[in-house]
Amino acid sequence: MTSPRDPRHPHINGEMVREASEREVRLLAEGNLNRPEEHVPGVAIPAQLEKLLGFGRSFSWWPLLFGLACCAIEMMATAGPRYDMSRFGMEAMRASPRQADGMIVAGWCSVKMAPRVVRLYEQIPDPKWVLAMGSCAISGNVWDTYHVVQGIDSLIPVDVYVPGCPPRPEALWQGLEMLRDKVKQSDHAYDRVPVIPARASIGE
Amino acid sequence: MDSTGEQISDALKSVFGKIEEKFGARLLGSSVFRGELTFLVAAEDLVEVATYCKAGLGFDRLEFLTGNHYPERLEQPFEVAVHLTSMATNDRLRLKVPLKEGQKMPTLSSLWPAANWCERETWEMYGIEFEGHPNLIRLLTDADFEGHPLRKDFPVRGLVGGRIRTDLKGKI
Repeated sequence: MTSPRDPRHPHINGEMVREASEREVRLLAEGNLNRPEEHVPGVAIPAQLEKLLGFGRSFSWWPLLFGLACCAIEMMATAGPRYDMSRFGMEAMRASPRQADGMIVAGWCSVKMAPRVVRLYEQIPDPKWVLAMGSCAISGNVWDTYHVVQGIDSLIPVDVYVPGCPPRPEALWQGLEMLRDKVKQSDHAYDRVPVIPARASIGE
Repeated sequence: MDSTGEQISDALKSVFGKIEEKFGARLLGSSVFRGELTFLVAAEDLVEVATYCKAGLGFDRLEFLTGNHYPERLEQPFEVAVHLTSMATNDRLRLKVPLKEGQKMPTLSSLWPAANWCERETWEMYGIEFEGHPNLIRLLTDADFEGHPLRKDFPVRGLVGGRIRTDLKGKI
């Protein structure tokens, strides 16, 4: 692989491009390029093995370090000694999305931040789960204003919603338990919500 | 000085005296509220007054610079408030500059580097232009955001609003 600064790196009109692979051509035709492929259980690997993998994943689900606003403090409290997230292996919050199993979106997302949230979500490899923590991530809370996204489920598929402002660590814990159940069963929101209406309507 | 019965400290009294003595008739007004001293200054005189405050009176720290919009004031609806602090004596001073719609005012970023971002935010939120500012672009909102949000006639929900963010089209 050549570095983008190397003149031999494929460039067309100043943009870095390469030939699309077959898989990419197919996904592009389906309109599914930046969305995870649908998970059909029992096809790639036997169902029993899948259950075992799900069980293992649920005990070491590493979220992306993604506290946006005040809910991050309660998330940190949940990771602290009293409400220890480490009991179920979640204290390893990864800074890089490539190493994460999902995101806990803690706090309000501004319109300026929205493309970055979506990009980070897309960079997390499958299988992934999203937990919307706090009323701001669910619906924008009281900030029905010019620069707050009214709920991040208008941008990315969400598995578990934890309301509160901020939700107490016990509430976040209950949400994480629900999430772990979904991880055990390999149940993804992006299978149920292949197209997000708010994104489709802006022509994405 | 406005006789509201409020008293200011002796140090601020001497500051008041010196500024009145030096600029006297050019000042648009002054007021005292709860021990805080405020001067109303015209846009043309601001740099001179601020330089004197910084160099002559020791107000070496710019706390904050922000704007205000009073639509009920038909003549000069906008206003820039400059908060100064003296680190040596812990005294505070406020300079207010009333402005007409579309009137520009000189930048203070050559005196205090802190004014740079404060003036960017003031421009972004109120539309008050600062002449001589090295980099007057948006600070907190998107680079292509339209409108000046903190003006009183800008809707709280913004011009796009809601869950369908058409301003994200092409970005996600």
